[in-house]
Amino acid sequence: MRSFQYERARTLGDAARLVAGADAMAIAGGTNLLDLMKLQVETPGELVDINRAGFAEIEDTDDGGLRIGALATNTATAVHPRVRSDYPVLARAILAGATQQLRNKATTGGNLCQRTRCFYFMNIDQPCNKREPGSGCGAIDGVAKLHAVLGTSDECIATYPGDMAVALSALDATVQIASVDGAERSVPVRDFHCLPGDTPWRENVLEDGEVITAVTLPAPVAGVQLYRKVRERSSYAFALVSIAAIVEMRDGVIARADLSFGGLAHKPWHEPRISDLLEGAAPSAELYDAAADLLLEDARGYGENDFKIPLARRTLHAVLAQAVEDAA
Amino acid sequence: MLEELANDWPSDASDDLEGKIEISGEEIRERMSGNLCRCGAYANIVAAIRDAATETSA
Repeated sequence: MRSFQYERARTLGDAARLVAGADAMAIAGGTNLLDLMKLQVETPGELVDINRAGFAEIEDTDDGGLRIGALATNTATAVHPRVRSDYPVLARAILAGATQQLRNKATTGGNLCQRTRCFYFMNIDQPCNKREPGSGCGAIDGVAKLHAVLGTSDECIATYPGDMAVALSALDATVQIASVDGAERSVPVRDFHCLPGDTPWRENVLEDGEVITAVTLPAPVAGVQLYRKVRERSSYAFALVSIAAIVEMRDGVIARADLSFGGLAHKPWHEPRISDLLEGAAPSAELYDAAADLLLEDARGYGENDFKIPLARRTLHAVLAQAVEDAA
Repeated sequence: MLEELANDWPSDASDDLEGKIEISGEEIRERMSGNLCRCGAYANIVAAIRDAATETSA
């Protein structure tokens, strides 16, 4: 690890001011950043500790939703009574990720900003366009078992590794962002992360001098909420494919279907045409297949990860069948 | 872990997010996951944790 300056932000304004500048990074739980610093993948000149800057509360919003502070830990969120009762897909997704020790430290904002676990990104002796623009991508034609099959580019096929954001995407949550100049803005979780394109180092829409202050959930909706995570080990492993699903049945037809997918792309994947297809339709195996066709029409495997395409199809089938059964 | 169980905080192994947690072997194994201490490899550790958890909540 290289030496760095350490500063502690006492307020939100402090945090935004201190993180402005190319050489500074915010640290909260540090569950991802410290690993990357030890590997010298991240080499900030200055670390800004935002743990004491406030905004850790979880509170009801005026419209019946929930506001989760950016510094609320994953554990605090997953065990919050309203998250467990009104947004169970979020509790399930968080509990499916990492381990209790990590979830006790990891925060909402940090989790959204976590980096890919691509082996080439995490090894400074390997080429990686994300870490070192122009150096090439080792994963294309390389070890790519964990890599993306949707929304890839010739520059990068890394995945966004998290679980929480997949549930937030299905719930259509919003990221609240404050800027060093005092401005505030809101970005839907579905638009927060970027596809790699020809700027794979840009993983989300945060600009220099901006910090996430909270994630807000809309008022709860009716229906069954499921999070299915398929992984190589049943605990403490990243998703090969995951699906967050909110499904409501009414009179034998699907009244609502909001789905988002993890493990498939550089961002939680949300395909609005799947909701359009499913809503108003009677459930059937053919319908689930048509949904999978929509999801996977542009899917592309890179050898080692070819299996993700049929796996995503089967997982979508299983999730929809389960949700429909539970919701009936 | 004992505090989590005493508070009925769910884990990935819990069937119910809101109910009483049944202190099963599956629950204890999931909650030990990621603990790098070698005590996790001892055959009797699950039974020992179950004993301790039951005493605490009794």
